[in-house]
This record gives sequence, structure tokens and C-alpha cells, in this order.
Amino acid sequence: MTTRQIHSSNSPVPLGQANAQTRTPSRSDDAGRKRNGWSRRTRRDFVVFLALALPNLILIGTFTYWPLINNMYYSTLDWTLGSASATVVGFGNYIDFLTGSDASNVLGTTAVFTLVTLGGSMALGLLIAVALNSKVRGTTFARSAVFAPYVLSGVGVGLVWLFIFDPGYGVLAWILRGFGQQSPEWINDPQLSLVMVIIVYIWKNLGYCAVVYLAGLQSLPKDVMEAASLDGASGLRRFVSMSVPLLSPTTFFLLITTMLSSLQAFDLIRIMTPLGAGTSTLIYEAYLQAFGAYNRAGYSAAISVVLFALLLIITVLQLRFVERKVHYS
Amino acid sequence: MNTQLDRRHFLGLAGLGASAVALAACGGPSTSAPAATVDASAVDFTGVKPAGSFDFWTSHPGQSMDVERSIIDKFHAKFPDIKVNLVTAGANYEEIAQKFQTSQAAKSTLPGLVVLSDVWWFRYYTNGNIIALDGLLKQLNFAMDDFQKSLVADYKYADKQWALPYGRSTPLFYYNKDHFKAAGLPDRAPKTWQEFADWAPKLQAASGAKYAYMYPALAGYAGWTLQNNLWGWGGSWSDGWKITCDSTESVAALQWAQDSVYKDKWAGVSSKNAADDFSAGITSTTISSTGDLLGVLKSAKFNVGVGFLPGGPKAATNVCPTGGAGLGIPSGVTKEVQLAAATFLKFMTEPENTAAFSAATGYMPTRLSADMSAVLAKTPQIKTAMDQLAVTRVQDNARVFLPGADQEMAKAAAKILTQQGDVKATMTDLKGTLDGIYTKDVKPKLKA
Repeated sequence: MTTRQIHSSNSPVPLGQANAQTRTPSRSDDAGRKRNGWSRRTRRDFVVFLALALPNLILIGTFTYWPLINNMYYSTLDWTLGSASATVVGFGNYIDFLTGSDASNVLGTTAVFTLVTLGGSMALGLLIAVALNSKVRGTTFARSAVFAPYVLSGVGVGLVWLFIFDPGYGVLAWILRGFGQQSPEWINDPQLSLVMVIIVYIWKNLGYCAVVYLAGLQSLPKDVMEAASLDGASGLRRFVSMSVPLLSPTTFFLLITTMLSSLQAFDLIRIMTPLGAGTSTLIYEAYLQAFGAYNRAGYSAAISVVLFALLLIITVLQLRFVERKVHYS
Repeated sequence: MNTQLDRRHFLGLAGLGASAVALAACGGPSTSAPAATVDASAVDFTGVKPAGSFDFWTSHPGQSMDVERSIIDKFHAKFPDIKVNLVTAGANYEEIAQKFQTSQAAKSTLPGLVVLSDVWWFRYYTNGNIIALDGLLKQLNFAMDDFQKSLVADYKYADKQWALPYGRSTPLFYYNKDHFKAAGLPDRAPKTWQEFADWAPKLQAASGAKYAYMYPALAGYAGWTLQNNLWGWGGSWSDGWKITCDSTESVAALQWAQDSVYKDKWAGVSSKNAADDFSAGITSTTISSTGDLLGVLKSAKFNVGVGFLPGGPKAATNVCPTGGAGLGIPSGVTKEVQLAAATFLKFMTEPENTAAFSAATGYMPTRLSADMSAVLAKTPQIKTAMDQLAVTRVQDNARVFLPGADQEMAKAAAKILTQQGDVKATMTDLKGTLDGIYTKDVKPKLKA
């Protein structure tokens, strides 16, 4: 509280106290208050905080931040996985990656995969949520069916869809043959491989978006929607002008979580396209470089740090700029 | 939220980060001295007692888990003081390599004996992960004269023996005898690809199969099977350490392959597994490993024929690469474990055990004196694979010694065979990539 605010106060304060309040606090007074605060309530609160938070902080520190720091160190080495020795190269791995042909391919694939899966999952999830929000028979079953793929193992989903997409004896090829068409080379053509993985990823994850959107739709204020209805707003108008803006907190939440999850997608890509031809996103390229055959552990660590920086920047930007557009009430 | 990062906080955080990174430098690989390969031929095992137990890491090549268990049981009966723990360390050669190398980095849980494929053992050698076996072979009196020479030679480098052959294979030409009969073709594999090109339209017309020939799945081992085409046309992936995949001969070989898919349209490319596609009747012929033989014979609903790989316009024979897996002993375990593992390695490669392994998997026996009569009576097709050994050729350095080269070759093959990419340009790009891998990842580690 500033001195000016205290002067402007209309509260009946005894003169002596007012004088005391208007006096500029000395540094020793401040320190005394802090010490008193620590010695009483704050100290007790801090102990409770430590008791509750410390086990988690230790776990996070050991299994998240320590590997992250180690990874940053490894990214400065020219290190072949399995070798007991390495050479310090500073930023050499970063320079190799960012100035080589890998970066444009990998970053381009990452951008396409992330944006399409993000847009696809959220748009289809919202449409399905609207359908599931209607009061017709069978919606409970439909909700379970839509959410089920999300909890399935990515490896199992990938294997089943590989059979579906197989141009030789897959279900899709069989259906196309019924129409006199040949199946596209989903697995061998790198561009189609990316399309194939995107389709399966959206199928697997849109249930998550649908369920979160459904919860959002069901918590919309009914009086506002009814008022709009009484004013003659059509269903489409209510959806576009009222539901969508009011769902912005849900959309913002999904935007962050789905984008982070898309950038870290691994299992489907690994199972469906082991060589990563056309589907080498940042995280998969990091895996391929270290474990796929090349054994470039240091280079792989550098790619991982680039991914980490990208995730950090995107999240900060979203929190700083996109959140301003969100209506929380 | 109002958090301000003032100069003091920034310096504090920077200091904390720098300290953490410096602390991280205490772990991981050494940055002071280069790795040294371990020459166990110089290690004296005299007076060393074999360890009481050790782990045997395998991917069970050719679905060999049962036969591996049975050989281990026999070993336990003969050597009750040494217990072998059979560990499934991966579903294929790549997964087992991943686990082995991660364990090297973690410096823990290493096995006494490990399955290593043709494209992995050299990396283990350059990283110092495996020992030279010469000393142990001598001390335990391995009958080296009785081993298949070409298979043993695959694991020789710098005058040392780094592994012994185990699940060894070559590619075989598989053909659907019923389709050949319907097309009026002789009951044999074609002698050259030119001969097959004449047969292909007849096969396609008479068989009803989608393709006359199917190239093996590129995500598998395209670099291995395409050696056949390259050698047949007088080309190669490399000549010694010189990359030659962009030579006129190599480009001609792959141009012919591309034409068979796009121009003549009698060939396709498998998406997952050519042996499965062949068994399902999608193609009349294919090339696949000898390790797939028993599986194909079991699942195919038609008469299966096998033959040598076809030659090309420049070379009619010696166009078949060797391949498959061997067994090596890690350097990061005790001498006792190494000796126990070598004792088991000797037992595992005894003639009767290699014959049993071959009978169960279709892989080739590694010993000359292995009695294969019972096996051949049951599966006479294995004889073709055994006979083909005499005309096999050691693979090009680029494919087996350059890390990641197999993947780069597969990507280049995909560009040529599934996207109709320009062959010369693709091979020129591949040469640049392979040269880069050699210069950066291999050359510095080679001994002068």
C-alpha cells in the first residue's frame, strides 16, 4: 500500500496511528515483519508445502529434469551410442541439424502432422460432441464408442490399421477392388504414408476432444441459450455466435494439450512406418538417429533439445497471446 | 501472474543451469580418451573358472525359441555348473541391437552371449563392445576347419575373429510351381533376370496373380536383396570403402528394376513382407530369406519351388549375398562370464546342434559335418539353399559396415521403385549420404 493511498483514505483513524502509517517504513521494519511472518504462519505453511510437494518435486527432478539436463549435455557431444568415449563439439550437432537438409524435411513434416492432426481432432471432436449432446437414444453407447480408441494401445491400433491399409490384402484394398480401383501404395509411398498415419492418429484421438467438448457443451449456461432461442436465433446461429465463443476455455485447453500430444506422437509412427520415410517428425527423427541404425546419440540429443525448445515456445506463446481471447465466464 | 526476471534472478538461474550441465558431464561417455577395442586373444583365460550363469540374448531368429530352449537343456545336462538364461532381447535384429547398445550406455545388465546381425557386429567392433574370439577359440579347441568358410569369414576383420555364424541365411528365389505350370514354363528358377522378363507376361496372363514378381518390402532389408540386381549388372553399393552406387552399372541395374514396375508392369513392391505376399498368392515369385522357407512351406496352399538367385547381363553366377546373424561375446562382462559363454558357444555350434537349429528354422547349417540327411528328407528345399552357399559373395562394405546405410538404401530404393524417382539422381544423392556416413562415423574409427 502506498503512502498516497493511505492519505486518501476516509476511514476514521486516530491521529497518532495515521502518523505512524504515513511514516515511510524503514528497511529494519520490513525485515522484522518478514522474520515475524516466517516464524509464525508462513513457516508452518512452508513446512506443509514442502511435505506435500517435495516427494513430487524429487520424482519430477529425477525423472524429468535430470534426464533433460543430461540430454542437453549429450547434445554437445559427438557420441556414437554404445561407445564409451565421445568428443565435445559444442553447438556442432545443432549447426549440422539446422543447416543440413534434415531440418527442412523434419520440421516440415512435424508442422504438417501437428497442424492437420490438431485441426482434424478438434474440428471433428467438436462436431461429434454436438451430435452426442443431442437427446436421442443410444448416445451413451455412442459416447463410449467414440472415446474407446483413445484408451487403446497405439501399437495395437497401428498394427490393425496396417492390415486395413495393406494394398495387397487389406480391407480398404478389397473395398476399392469392388469399385474396380487399385489401392494406393499407402505404406511404400512416403507422402501417402504421412496421410495414412494422420488419418489413424485423428481416429484414435478425436474421442478425447469429443468428450472434453461434450463436457464444455453441457456446462454452457442454459438461460443464455434459451434467451437467444426466444429472440429467434437459429440453431446454427446459436452454435456459431454463442456456443463456440463460450466454449473458448475448452478450445484453449484442447489447443494446448492436443498440440503437445501431436508433437510427441510416437507409437503409431513407429509401428506403421518404421523407416520414417515421409513421417519423420522431430521426435521420431530423434529416435531414428540414436536407435534406428545411425547411433548418433549426440545428434539425436540435439534434435530432442530443439523439440523441447519448440514445445516451450509454443506453450508460452499460447499462454501469453491466445489466452487473451478466451472468455472464462 | 507477475514474475519479473531481474538481473540477479537471471544470473542465478544461469549459474544453476551451468552447474547442472557440468554435473551431467560427470556421467555418460568419457570425453578424454578414445574407446579401445578389446582384444581377448591377448587375454589369458588360464586358471579362469567359467561363471555359474550368464544371460544369452537372442531375438529367436526364424522362430527358434523352442529349439534354442532344447539346445540349452542339453547343455545343462552336459555342463550342470553353467546355467544359461535365455533372454528374449528383441523381436528382430534391430531391437536386440537397440537393447545391447542401450545397455552399453547404461553400463549394466550386459549378456554373456548376444545375437548380432550382419549389419551390426562391425559397429560393436568399432565401439569396443565385443571381444575378439581367437584366444577363446584356441583355448576351447573349436574345430574351425569344420565351419563353413564363407560364413566364418564374414566376421573377420583386422585379422581377428569377432563372432561366429549362427542363424545364417541367403536370399532364395521362391516360385509358385502351379503358376509356372499354368504358364507352360519350366519347373525351375530363371537363370537370369532377362529370362524372367520373357516369362513374366506369360505368368501374369496365366496365373491370375497381381504380379509376376514382387520386390521384398523396402522397410525390411532392401539393400541386401538388391545386391543381387547390382552384382548381376556389374554394379555394387561399394567397392571396398569407395561408394559406387552411382556407377553406370549400378544405375542400369536399378533402372531395369524400375522399368519392371512402371514400364513393363509385371513387378510390384511388397508393403510388409514379400514371403507373406507370396504365400497369399498375390505374386508368382519373390526373393526372400532362407529363414522364411519353413514358414512359406507351411502357409502356402500351392506347390512351392525354390532356386538360386537369377544372374544379370554381366554376371550369371556369384550374385547371392550371405546374411543373417552370428553370436558374439561382449567385452563389458567378466572373464568368467566370457569363458562360460564361449563354452556354450562351442556347444551351440556343434554339428548336431547346428543341424537341429537348421531343421527347426530353415537357416543353413554352419558346420560342414552336420548330418542333414533327416532334415533334407523332410524339407528337400533346404538343399538348394545349402548348394547356393558355394556361389555366395560377401556383401559390400557400404551395406554392412556403414551405420544407417541399410536405411538410406531402402529410402533410395523406395524413391526409385515406388515413386518413380530419377535413378541417376537418386543414386548420386545416396552416394553423397553414404560418403558422409563413412567420413564422419566410420573412417575416424578404423585402425590404420
